[in-house]
Amino acid sequence: MLAAYAQYWRINILTMLEYRANFIMWFAFTIVYHGVALGALYVTMRQFPSMNGWTFREMFFLYSLWMTGHELHNAVFFQIVSVPDFVREGRFDRFLVRPIDTLFQVLTVPQQLLPDGLVLALTTLTIAIPVAGLHASPLLVLFVAMVVVGGALIDLGISLGVATLSFWFVRVDTLRWAVMSLEQDFTRYPISIYARGVRIVLAFVLPFAFMNYFPATFLLQKQESGLGLNPEIGLLTPAIGLGWFAISYVFWRRGLRHYQGTGS
Amino acid sequence: MATALAPYWEFAKKAFAREATYRFEVFTEVGSLILRVYLLRCLWTALYAQNAAPLNLPLHSMITYATVALLMSLVLEIDGTRLIREKLRDGTIATDLMKPIVVPFYFFSDGVGRTLLYAVLVLPTLLCALLLVRIDVPDPARFGVFVLSFLIAYCVNFVLNFCMNSIAFWTLETFALQLIVRWVSDLLSGQIIPLTFFPGLLGRALFALPFAAIYSTPLLIYVGITPRGAWGAALAVQAIWFVIFGSAAFGIWQAASRRIVVQGG
Repeated sequence: MLAAYAQYWRINILTMLEYRANFIMWFAFTIVYHGVALGALYVTMRQFPSMNGWTFREMFFLYSLWMTGHELHNAVFFQIVSVPDFVREGRFDRFLVRPIDTLFQVLTVPQQLLPDGLVLALTTLTIAIPVAGLHASPLLVLFVAMVVVGGALIDLGISLGVATLSFWFVRVDTLRWAVMSLEQDFTRYPISIYARGVRIVLAFVLPFAFMNYFPATFLLQKQESGLGLNPEIGLLTPAIGLGWFAISYVFWRRGLRHYQGTGS
Repeated sequence: MATALAPYWEFAKKAFAREATYRFEVFTEVGSLILRVYLLRCLWTALYAQNAAPLNLPLHSMITYATVALLMSLVLEIDGTRLIREKLRDGTIATDLMKPIVVPFYFFSDGVGRTLLYAVLVLPTLLCALLLVRIDVPDPARFGVFVLSFLIAYCVNFVLNFCMNSIAFWTLETFALQLIVRWVSDLLSGQIIPLTFFPGLLGRALFALPFAAIYSTPLLIYVGITPRGAWGAALAVQAIWFVIFGSAAFGIWQAASRRIVVQGG
Protein backbone atom coordinates (compact mmCIF):
# COMPACT_ATOMS: atom_id res chain seq x y z
CA MET A 1 0.00 0.00 0.00
CA LEU A 2 2.92 2.29 0.81
CA ALA A 3 4.42 1.53 -2.59
CA ALA A 4 1.11 2.40 -4.25
CA TYR A 5 1.05 5.68 -2.35
CA ALA A 6 4.59 6.57 -3.42
CA GLN A 7 3.59 5.79 -6.99
CA TYR A 8 0.60 8.10 -6.65
CA TRP A 9 2.85 11.02 -5.67
CA ARG A 10 5.25 10.18 -8.47
CA ILE A 11 2.41 10.50 -10.99
CA ASN A 12 1.29 13.79 -9.44
CA ILE A 13 4.74 15.26 -9.75
CA LEU A 14 5.14 14.03 -13.32
CA THR A 15 1.79 15.60 -14.22
CA MET A 16 2.93 18.85 -12.70
CA LEU A 17 6.13 18.85 -14.71
CA GLU A 18 4.02 18.39 -17.80
CA TYR A 19 1.84 21.41 -17.03
CA ARG A 20 4.44 23.67 -15.47
CA ALA A 21 2.90 27.01 -16.46
CA ASN A 22 -0.44 25.93 -15.10
CA PHE A 23 1.12 24.85 -11.83
CA ILE A 24 2.92 28.18 -11.41
CA MET A 25 -0.35 30.01 -12.02
CA TRP A 26 -2.13 28.04 -9.33
CA PHE A 27 0.72 28.50 -6.91
CA ALA A 28 0.52 32.24 -7.53
CA PHE A 29 -3.20 32.02 -6.88
CA THR A 30 -2.64 30.33 -3.51
CA ILE A 31 -0.17 33.04 -2.51
CA VAL A 32 -2.54 35.80 -3.57
CA TYR A 33 -5.53 34.20 -1.81
CA HIS A 34 -3.81 34.08 1.58
CA GLY A 35 -1.95 37.32 0.90
CA VAL A 36 -5.21 39.20 0.36
CA ALA A 37 -6.71 37.74 3.54
CA LEU A 38 -3.69 38.71 5.62
CA GLY A 39 -3.27 42.06 3.86
CA ALA A 40 -6.85 43.06 4.59
CA LEU A 41 -6.37 42.01 8.22
CA TYR A 42 -3.16 44.02 8.49
CA VAL A 43 -4.64 47.21 7.05
CA THR A 44 -7.73 46.87 9.24
CA MET A 45 -5.69 46.36 12.39
CA ARG A 46 -3.49 49.36 11.70
CA GLN A 47 -6.66 51.33 12.17
CA PHE A 48 -8.03 49.13 14.99
CA PRO A 49 -5.08 47.64 16.90
CA SER A 50 -7.06 45.34 19.18
CA MET A 51 -9.58 42.62 18.32
CA ASN A 52 -11.02 41.46 21.65
CA GLY A 53 -7.51 41.78 23.08
CA TRP A 54 -5.69 40.17 20.13
CA THR A 55 -3.04 42.14 18.24
CA PHE A 56 -2.28 41.75 14.54
CA ARG A 57 0.81 39.67 15.33
CA GLU A 58 -1.28 37.24 17.36
CA MET A 59 -3.98 37.16 14.68
CA PHE A 60 -1.29 36.38 12.12
CA PHE A 61 -0.26 33.36 14.19
CA LEU A 62 -3.93 32.37 14.59
CA TYR A 63 -4.38 32.48 10.81
CA SER A 64 -1.19 30.61 9.97
CA LEU A 65 -2.05 27.84 12.44
CA TRP A 66 -5.40 27.26 10.74
CA MET A 67 -3.83 27.64 7.31
CA THR A 68 -1.21 24.95 7.94
CA GLY A 69 -3.67 22.37 9.28
CA HIS A 70 -6.05 23.13 6.44
CA GLU A 71 -3.36 22.97 3.74
CA LEU A 72 -2.04 19.70 5.17
CA HIS A 73 -5.57 18.34 4.81
CA ASN A 74 -5.79 19.70 1.26
CA ALA A 75 -2.46 18.18 0.28
CA VAL A 76 -3.21 14.68 1.54
CA PHE A 77 -6.97 14.27 1.81
CA PHE A 78 -8.33 16.60 -0.85
CA GLN A 79 -10.04 13.91 -2.95
CA ILE A 80 -12.61 13.36 -0.18
CA VAL A 81 -14.59 16.30 -1.49
CA SER A 82 -15.02 14.48 -4.80
CA VAL A 83 -16.88 11.53 -3.24
CA PRO A 84 -20.34 13.07 -3.78
CA ASP A 85 -19.43 13.59 -7.46
CA PHE A 86 -18.16 10.00 -7.79
CA VAL A 87 -21.40 8.72 -6.26
CA ARG A 88 -23.62 10.89 -8.43
CA GLU A 89 -21.84 9.94 -11.62
CA GLY A 90 -21.71 6.25 -10.73
CA ARG A 91 -17.92 6.22 -10.68
CA PHE A 92 -17.82 5.15 -7.04
CA ASP A 93 -18.71 1.52 -7.68
CA ARG A 94 -15.35 0.62 -9.13
CA PHE A 95 -13.65 1.35 -5.78
CA LEU A 96 -15.80 -1.29 -4.15
CA VAL A 97 -14.72 -4.16 -6.38
CA ARG A 98 -10.98 -3.67 -5.89
CA PRO A 99 -9.17 -5.46 -3.07
CA ILE A 100 -7.76 -2.36 -1.32
CA ASP A 101 -9.34 -0.18 1.35
CA THR A 102 -11.97 2.06 -0.28
CA LEU A 103 -10.91 5.23 1.50
CA PHE A 104 -7.31 4.70 0.44
CA GLN A 105 -8.42 4.37 -3.17
CA VAL A 106 -10.49 7.56 -2.98
CA LEU A 107 -7.51 9.47 -1.57
CA THR A 108 -5.24 8.32 -4.36
CA VAL A 109 -7.30 9.15 -7.42
CA PRO A 110 -4.74 10.89 -9.62
CA GLN A 111 -5.20 14.63 -9.58
CA GLN A 112 -3.31 17.71 -10.60
CA LEU A 113 -2.60 18.81 -7.06
CA LEU A 114 0.68 19.35 -5.34
CA PRO A 115 1.43 20.39 -1.78
CA ASP A 116 2.20 23.95 -2.89
CA GLY A 117 -0.30 25.33 -0.38
CA LEU A 118 1.33 23.30 2.37
CA VAL A 119 4.78 24.63 1.52
CA LEU A 120 3.42 28.16 1.63
CA ALA A 121 1.62 27.48 4.92
CA LEU A 122 4.72 26.05 6.60
CA THR A 123 6.70 29.09 5.50
CA THR A 124 4.03 31.41 6.87
CA LEU A 125 3.88 29.52 10.14
CA THR A 126 7.66 29.64 10.52
CA ILE A 127 7.50 33.41 10.17
CA ALA A 128 4.45 33.77 12.38
CA ILE A 129 5.90 31.97 15.42
CA PRO A 130 8.64 34.55 16.19
CA VAL A 131 6.41 37.41 15.00
CA ALA A 132 3.87 36.48 17.66
CA GLY A 133 6.66 36.56 20.25
CA LEU A 134 6.91 32.79 20.73
CA HIS A 135 10.25 31.16 21.40
CA ALA A 136 10.73 28.21 19.03
CA SER A 137 11.87 25.62 21.56
CA PRO A 138 11.83 21.93 20.53
CA LEU A 139 8.82 21.39 22.79
CA LEU A 140 6.91 24.21 21.07
CA VAL A 141 7.78 22.92 17.61
CA LEU A 142 6.60 19.45 18.59
CA PHE A 143 3.37 20.81 20.01
CA VAL A 144 2.70 23.02 16.96
CA ALA A 145 3.35 20.02 14.69
CA MET A 146 0.81 17.98 16.66
CA VAL A 147 -1.71 20.82 16.46
CA VAL A 148 -1.24 20.96 12.69
CA VAL A 149 -1.76 17.20 12.32
CA GLY A 150 -4.70 17.34 14.72
CA GLY A 151 -6.12 20.25 12.74
CA ALA A 152 -5.81 18.33 9.48
CA LEU A 153 -7.59 15.37 11.11
CA ILE A 154 -10.42 17.62 12.31
CA ASP A 155 -10.75 18.89 8.76
CA LEU A 156 -10.66 15.32 7.46
CA GLY A 157 -13.22 14.14 10.01
CA ILE A 158 -15.62 16.84 8.93
CA SER A 159 -15.13 16.46 5.19
CA LEU A 160 -15.38 12.67 5.48
CA GLY A 161 -18.60 13.02 7.48
CA VAL A 162 -20.13 15.30 4.86
CA ALA A 163 -18.94 13.02 2.04
CA THR A 164 -20.47 9.97 3.75
CA LEU A 165 -23.84 11.67 3.85
CA SER A 166 -23.82 11.52 0.06
CA PHE A 167 -24.46 7.75 0.31
CA TRP A 168 -27.91 8.63 1.62
CA PHE A 169 -28.53 12.04 0.06
CA VAL A 170 -27.09 12.37 -3.41
CA ARG A 171 -26.85 16.15 -3.27
CA VAL A 172 -24.85 17.40 -0.29
CA ASP A 173 -23.30 20.44 -1.96
CA THR A 174 -25.22 22.95 0.16
CA LEU A 175 -24.02 21.34 3.36
CA ARG A 176 -20.50 20.99 2.05
CA TRP A 177 -20.50 24.60 1.07
CA ALA A 178 -21.96 25.84 4.38
CA VAL A 179 -19.35 23.93 6.38
CA MET A 180 -16.56 25.22 4.14
CA SER A 181 -17.70 28.80 4.45
CA LEU A 182 -18.00 28.46 8.21
CA GLU A 183 -14.46 27.19 8.33
CA GLN A 184 -12.74 29.62 5.97
CA ASP A 185 -14.35 32.83 7.17
CA PHE A 186 -15.06 32.16 10.82
CA THR A 187 -11.69 30.70 11.85
CA ARG A 188 -9.92 33.95 11.00
CA TYR A 189 -10.97 35.71 14.18
CA PRO A 190 -11.06 34.84 17.89
CA ILE A 191 -14.36 33.06 18.52
CA SER A 192 -15.10 35.50 21.32
CA ILE A 193 -16.46 37.97 18.74
CA TYR A 194 -19.39 35.67 17.87
CA ALA A 195 -22.66 35.02 19.66
CA ARG A 196 -22.61 32.19 22.19
CA GLY A 197 -24.46 29.74 19.96
CA VAL A 198 -21.94 30.19 17.14
CA ARG A 199 -19.04 29.72 19.60
CA ILE A 200 -20.51 26.45 20.83
CA VAL A 201 -20.89 25.21 17.25
CA LEU A 202 -17.30 26.14 16.45
CA ALA A 203 -15.98 24.50 19.62
CA PHE A 204 -17.99 21.31 19.92
CA VAL A 205 -20.22 20.63 16.92
CA LEU A 206 -17.78 21.39 14.09
CA PRO A 207 -14.67 21.84 16.24
CA PHE A 208 -12.80 24.27 13.96
CA ALA A 209 -11.86 26.31 17.05
CA PHE A 210 -9.52 23.46 17.99
CA MET A 211 -7.62 23.94 14.74
CA ASN A 212 -6.33 27.33 15.79
CA TYR A 213 -8.22 29.33 18.43
CA PHE A 214 -7.81 27.05 21.47
CA PRO A 215 -4.18 26.06 20.84
CA ALA A 216 -3.25 29.67 20.03
CA THR A 217 -4.97 30.89 23.20
CA PHE A 218 -2.91 28.40 25.19
CA LEU A 219 0.41 29.15 23.47
CA LEU A 220 0.03 32.91 23.58
CA GLN A 221 -1.22 32.73 27.17
CA LYS A 222 -4.36 34.66 26.32
CA GLN A 223 -7.38 34.73 28.50
CA GLU A 224 -9.85 32.30 26.93
CA SER A 225 -12.87 34.57 26.71
CA GLY A 226 -14.86 32.64 24.13
CA LEU A 227 -16.49 30.10 26.39
CA GLY A 228 -14.67 30.76 29.67
CA LEU A 229 -12.83 27.44 29.54
CA ASN A 230 -9.46 26.61 30.99
CA PRO A 231 -6.85 27.59 28.33
CA GLU A 232 -5.25 24.15 28.71
CA ILE A 233 -8.13 22.86 26.58
CA GLY A 234 -5.88 23.88 23.67
CA LEU A 235 -3.71 20.85 24.44
CA LEU A 236 -6.57 18.59 23.37
CA THR A 237 -6.35 19.38 19.63
CA PRO A 238 -4.57 16.13 18.59
CA ALA A 239 -7.02 14.08 20.65
CA ILE A 240 -10.02 15.90 19.20
CA GLY A 241 -8.59 15.33 15.72
CA LEU A 242 -8.14 11.61 16.28
CA GLY A 243 -11.57 11.33 17.90
CA TRP A 244 -13.30 13.14 15.06
CA PHE A 245 -11.55 11.08 12.46
CA ALA A 246 -12.41 7.82 14.30
CA ILE A 247 -16.09 8.72 14.55
CA SER A 248 -16.20 9.76 10.88
CA TYR A 249 -14.44 6.60 9.80
CA VAL A 250 -16.97 4.39 11.61
CA PHE A 251 -19.73 6.42 10.00
CA TRP A 252 -18.01 6.03 6.60
CA ARG A 253 -17.90 2.23 7.01
CA ARG A 254 -21.61 2.22 7.81
CA GLY A 255 -22.22 4.38 4.77
CA LEU A 256 -20.31 1.94 2.58
CA ARG A 257 -22.50 -0.95 3.77
CA HIS A 258 -25.57 1.10 3.01
CA TYR A 259 -24.34 2.29 -0.40
CA GLN A 260 -26.39 1.09 -3.35
CA GLY A 261 -25.39 3.34 -6.20
CA THR A 262 -27.56 5.85 -8.00
CA GLY A 263 -28.19 3.74 -11.05
CA SER A 264 -26.30 6.12 -13.29
CA MET B 1 -33.34 51.77 -33.49
CA ALA B 2 -35.79 49.64 -31.55
CA THR B 3 -35.68 46.83 -34.10
CA ALA B 4 -31.89 46.99 -34.14
CA LEU B 5 -31.83 46.45 -30.41
CA ALA B 6 -34.51 43.75 -30.35
CA PRO B 7 -32.18 40.76 -30.74
CA TYR B 8 -30.01 41.95 -27.81
CA TRP B 9 -33.07 42.25 -25.58
CA GLU B 10 -33.88 38.65 -26.51
CA PHE B 11 -30.33 37.57 -25.65
CA ALA B 12 -30.69 39.17 -22.22
CA LYS B 13 -34.03 37.42 -21.61
CA LYS B 14 -32.56 34.09 -22.63
CA ALA B 15 -29.61 34.50 -20.30
CA PHE B 16 -31.97 35.36 -17.46
CA ALA B 17 -34.03 32.23 -18.05
CA ARG B 18 -30.94 30.06 -18.38
CA GLU B 19 -29.45 31.25 -15.09
CA ALA B 20 -32.77 30.89 -13.30
CA THR B 21 -32.68 27.14 -13.89
CA TYR B 22 -29.63 26.84 -11.64
CA ARG B 23 -31.74 27.66 -8.62
CA PHE B 24 -29.55 25.71 -6.29
CA GLU B 25 -26.47 27.84 -6.92
CA VAL B 26 -28.55 30.91 -6.47
CA PHE B 27 -29.67 29.83 -2.99
CA THR B 28 -26.09 29.01 -2.09
CA GLU B 29 -25.08 32.47 -3.16
CA VAL B 30 -27.71 34.15 -1.01
CA GLY B 31 -27.00 31.90 1.98
CA SER B 32 -23.32 32.65 1.75
CA LEU B 33 -24.01 36.36 1.80
CA ILE B 34 -26.18 36.10 4.89
CA LEU B 35 -23.41 34.29 6.75
CA ARG B 36 -20.98 36.99 5.70
CA VAL B 37 -23.35 39.73 6.86
CA TYR B 38 -23.43 38.06 10.27
CA LEU B 39 -19.64 37.83 10.25
CA LEU B 40 -19.16 41.47 9.33
CA ARG B 41 -21.50 42.56 12.11
CA CYS B 42 -19.52 40.58 14.70
CA LEU B 43 -16.20 41.73 13.31
CA TRP B 44 -16.82 45.48 13.15
CA THR B 45 -18.77 45.55 16.40
CA ALA B 46 -15.81 43.94 18.19
CA LEU B 47 -13.29 46.26 16.53
CA TYR B 48 -15.24 49.44 17.27
CA ALA B 49 -15.91 48.39 20.87
CA GLN B 50 -12.23 48.45 21.84
CA ASN B 51 -10.59 51.00 19.57
CA ALA B 52 -11.04 54.66 18.74
CA ALA B 53 -13.39 54.95 15.75
CA PRO B 54 -12.08 56.72 12.62
CA LEU B 55 -13.46 60.27 12.58
CA ASN B 56 -15.58 60.12 9.45
CA LEU B 57 -16.77 56.53 9.77
CA PRO B 58 -18.72 55.58 12.92
CA LEU B 59 -19.80 51.96 13.51
CA HIS B 60 -23.21 52.27 11.86
CA SER B 61 -21.61 53.75 8.72
CA MET B 62 -19.00 50.99 8.65
CA ILE B 63 -21.66 48.27 8.91
CA THR B 64 -23.67 50.03 6.21
CA TYR B 65 -20.57 50.23 4.01
CA ALA B 66 -19.74 46.54 4.41
CA THR B 67 -23.33 45.35 3.92
CA VAL B 68 -23.95 47.46 0.82
CA ALA B 69 -20.59 46.26 -0.55
CA LEU B 70 -21.76 42.65 -0.15
CA LEU B 71 -25.06 43.38 -1.88
CA MET B 72 -23.19 45.09 -4.73
CA SER B 73 -20.92 42.07 -5.05
CA LEU B 74 -24.00 39.94 -5.70
CA VAL B 75 -24.34 41.80 -9.00
CA LEU B 76 -20.73 42.74 -9.74
CA GLU B 77 -19.19 39.33 -9.16
CA ILE B 78 -21.18 37.82 -12.00
CA ASP B 79 -18.72 37.74 -14.80
CA GLY B 80 -20.89 38.50 -17.82
CA THR B 81 -18.00 37.99 -20.22
CA ARG B 82 -17.09 34.49 -19.03
CA LEU B 83 -18.96 33.45 -22.14
CA ILE B 84 -16.04 34.62 -24.31
CA ARG B 85 -13.77 32.08 -22.69
CA GLU B 86 -16.33 29.27 -22.90
CA LYS B 87 -17.11 30.00 -26.53
CA LEU B 88 -13.45 30.13 -27.43
CA ARG B 89 -12.88 26.76 -25.86
CA ASP B 90 -15.72 24.96 -27.59
CA GLY B 91 -15.31 26.91 -30.82
CA THR B 92 -18.87 28.26 -31.08
CA ILE B 93 -17.46 31.78 -31.24
CA ALA B 94 -16.84 31.15 -34.93
CA THR B 95 -20.56 30.82 -35.68
CA ASP B 96 -21.33 33.85 -33.50
CA LEU B 97 -19.01 35.92 -35.65
CA MET B 98 -20.93 34.86 -38.75
CA LYS B 99 -24.28 36.02 -37.36
CA PRO B 100 -25.48 39.51 -38.28
CA ILE B 101 -24.92 40.85 -34.76
CA VAL B 102 -22.27 42.91 -33.01
CA VAL B 103 -20.73 40.18 -30.91
CA PRO B 104 -19.47 42.32 -27.99
CA PHE B 105 -23.02 43.70 -27.63
CA TYR B 106 -24.26 40.13 -27.58
CA PHE B 107 -21.90 39.39 -24.69
CA PHE B 108 -23.01 42.54 -22.92
CA SER B 109 -26.71 41.70 -23.22
CA ASP B 110 -26.06 38.13 -22.12
CA GLY B 111 -24.19 39.51 -19.11
CA VAL B 112 -27.00 41.93 -18.32
CA GLY B 113 -29.54 39.10 -18.41
CA ARG B 114 -27.38 37.03 -16.12
CA THR B 115 -26.89 39.87 -13.67
CA LEU B 116 -30.56 40.89 -13.75
CA LEU B 117 -31.41 37.62 -12.07
CA TYR B 118 -28.96 38.37 -9.29
CA ALA B 119 -30.19 41.94 -9.10
CA VAL B 120 -33.64 40.52 -8.38
CA LEU B 121 -32.04 38.50 -5.59
CA VAL B 122 -30.66 41.62 -3.92
CA LEU B 123 -34.09 42.31 -2.48
CA PRO B 124 -34.68 39.09 -0.49
CA THR B 125 -31.02 39.11 0.56
CA LEU B 126 -31.40 42.66 1.77
CA LEU B 127 -34.50 41.72 3.77
CA CYS B 128 -32.66 38.82 5.43
CA ALA B 129 -29.65 41.03 6.06
CA LEU B 130 -31.87 43.61 7.75
CA LEU B 131 -32.70 41.01 10.40
CA LEU B 132 -29.02 41.02 11.32
CA VAL B 133 -27.85 44.58 10.76
CA ARG B 134 -29.23 48.10 10.51
CA ILE B 135 -28.34 49.96 7.32
CA ASP B 136 -28.33 53.74 7.02
CA VAL B 137 -30.54 55.10 4.25
CA PRO B 138 -29.19 58.28 2.63
CA ASP B 139 -31.38 61.14 1.45
CA PRO B 140 -32.95 60.76 -2.03
CA ALA B 141 -30.39 62.97 -3.82
CA ARG B 142 -27.45 61.04 -2.39
CA PHE B 143 -29.15 57.72 -3.12
CA GLY B 144 -29.80 58.80 -6.70
CA VAL B 145 -26.14 59.68 -7.22
CA PHE B 146 -25.18 56.36 -5.64
CA VAL B 147 -27.37 54.47 -8.13
CA LEU B 148 -25.87 56.42 -11.03
CA SER B 149 -22.37 55.73 -9.77
CA PHE B 150 -23.20 52.06 -9.34
CA LEU B 151 -24.39 51.84 -12.96
CA ILE B 152 -21.12 53.33 -14.18
CA ALA B 153 -19.28 50.93 -11.88
CA TYR B 154 -21.15 48.05 -13.53
CA CYS B 155 -19.98 49.20 -16.96
CA VAL B 156 -16.37 49.70 -15.81
CA ASN B 157 -16.47 46.21 -14.29
CA PHE B 158 -17.84 44.83 -17.55
CA VAL B 159 -15.14 46.31 -19.78
CA LEU B 160 -12.40 45.29 -17.34
CA ASN B 161 -13.73 41.72 -17.35
CA PHE B 162 -14.03 41.87 -21.12
CA CYS B 163 -10.34 42.76 -21.44
CA MET B 164 -9.40 39.99 -19.00
CA ASN B 165 -11.45 37.35 -20.77
CA SER B 166 -10.16 38.42 -24.15
CA ILE B 167 -6.69 37.32 -23.08
CA ALA B 168 -8.11 33.86 -23.75
CA PHE B 169 -7.82 34.65 -27.46
CA TRP B 170 -4.05 34.43 -27.02
CA THR B 171 -3.40 32.01 -24.16
CA LEU B 172 -6.62 29.95 -23.84
CA GLU B 173 -6.05 29.08 -20.15
CA THR B 174 -6.79 32.12 -18.04
CA PHE B 175 -8.90 30.86 -15.16
CA ALA B 176 -6.20 31.02 -12.46
CA LEU B 177 -5.08 34.43 -13.66
CA GLN B 178 -8.63 35.68 -13.47
CA LEU B 179 -9.11 34.45 -9.94
CA ILE B 180 -5.89 36.21 -8.97
CA VAL B 181 -7.02 39.49 -10.48
CA ARG B 182 -10.40 39.08 -8.85
CA TRP B 183 -8.96 38.56 -5.34
CA VAL B 184 -6.52 41.42 -5.68
CA SER B 185 -9.18 43.74 -7.04
CA ASP B 186 -11.53 42.82 -4.17
CA LEU B 187 -8.94 44.24 -1.80
CA LEU B 188 -7.87 47.20 -3.95
CA SER B 189 -11.38 48.24 -4.99
CA GLY B 190 -12.57 48.83 -1.45
CA GLN B 191 -14.93 45.86 -1.38
CA ILE B 192 -13.41 44.24 1.73
CA ILE B 193 -12.30 47.37 3.58
CA PRO B 194 -12.68 51.08 2.75
CA LEU B 195 -9.73 52.47 0.84
CA THR B 196 -9.55 55.26 3.42
CA PHE B 197 -8.03 52.68 5.83
CA PHE B 198 -4.93 52.26 3.67
CA PRO B 199 -2.05 54.42 4.91
CA GLY B 200 -0.37 57.39 3.21
CA LEU B 201 0.97 57.04 -0.26
CA LEU B 202 -0.47 53.57 -0.78
CA GLY B 203 -3.93 54.86 0.07
CA ARG B 204 -3.66 57.72 -2.39
CA ALA B 205 -2.28 55.41 -5.08
CA LEU B 206 -5.28 53.07 -4.70
CA PHE B 207 -7.70 55.93 -5.34
CA ALA B 208 -5.84 56.52 -8.60
CA LEU B 209 -6.34 52.94 -9.82
CA PRO B 210 -9.33 51.83 -11.91
CA PHE B 211 -10.44 49.32 -9.25
CA ALA B 212 -11.58 52.19 -7.02
CA ALA B 213 -14.20 53.06 -9.65
CA ILE B 214 -15.94 49.72 -9.07
CA TYR B 215 -16.71 49.59 -5.35
CA SER B 216 -15.11 52.50 -3.57
CA THR B 217 -16.64 55.41 -5.47
CA PRO B 218 -20.31 54.36 -5.13
CA LEU B 219 -19.82 53.22 -1.52
CA LEU B 220 -18.10 56.39 -0.34
CA ILE B 221 -20.93 58.38 -1.89
CA TYR B 222 -23.47 56.15 -0.10
CA VAL B 223 -21.99 56.48 3.39
CA GLY B 224 -21.38 60.20 2.96
CA ILE B 225 -17.59 60.36 3.02
CA THR B 226 -17.63 61.93 -0.45
CA PRO B 227 -19.14 65.39 0.15
CA ARG B 228 -21.93 66.73 -2.03
CA GLY B 229 -19.57 69.10 -3.83
CA ALA B 230 -17.31 66.24 -4.98
CA TRP B 231 -19.99 64.01 -6.50
CA GLY B 232 -19.54 65.36 -10.01
CA ALA B 233 -15.78 64.84 -9.98
CA ALA B 234 -16.17 61.31 -8.58
CA LEU B 235 -18.59 60.33 -11.35
CA ALA B 236 -16.37 61.94 -13.97
CA VAL B 237 -13.36 59.89 -12.89
CA GLN B 238 -15.46 56.72 -13.13
CA ALA B 239 -16.62 57.72 -16.60
CA ILE B 240 -13.03 58.32 -17.69
CA TRP B 241 -12.07 54.80 -16.60
CA PHE B 242 -15.02 53.46 -18.54
CA VAL B 243 -13.91 55.26 -21.69
CA ILE B 244 -10.28 54.13 -21.30
CA PHE B 245 -11.06 50.47 -20.75
CA GLY B 246 -13.98 50.55 -23.15
CA SER B 247 -11.60 51.66 -25.90
CA ALA B 248 -9.06 49.07 -24.81
CA ALA B 249 -11.74 46.37 -24.96
CA PHE B 250 -12.73 47.57 -28.43
CA GLY B 251 -9.12 47.50 -29.61
CA ILE B 252 -8.52 44.05 -28.17
CA TRP B 253 -11.69 42.80 -29.78
CA GLN B 254 -10.66 44.16 -33.18
CA ALA B 255 -7.26 42.50 -32.93
CA ALA B 256 -8.65 39.28 -31.49
CA SER B 257 -11.45 38.62 -33.95
CA ARG B 258 -8.89 38.65 -36.74
CA ARG B 259 -6.88 36.12 -34.86
CA ILE B 260 -9.44 33.38 -34.29
CA VAL B 261 -7.91 29.99 -34.84
CA VAL B 262 -9.67 26.70 -34.76
CA GLN B 263 -8.43 24.51 -31.95
CA GLY B 264 -9.88 21.37 -33.42
CA GLY B 265 -12.26 19.12 -31.53
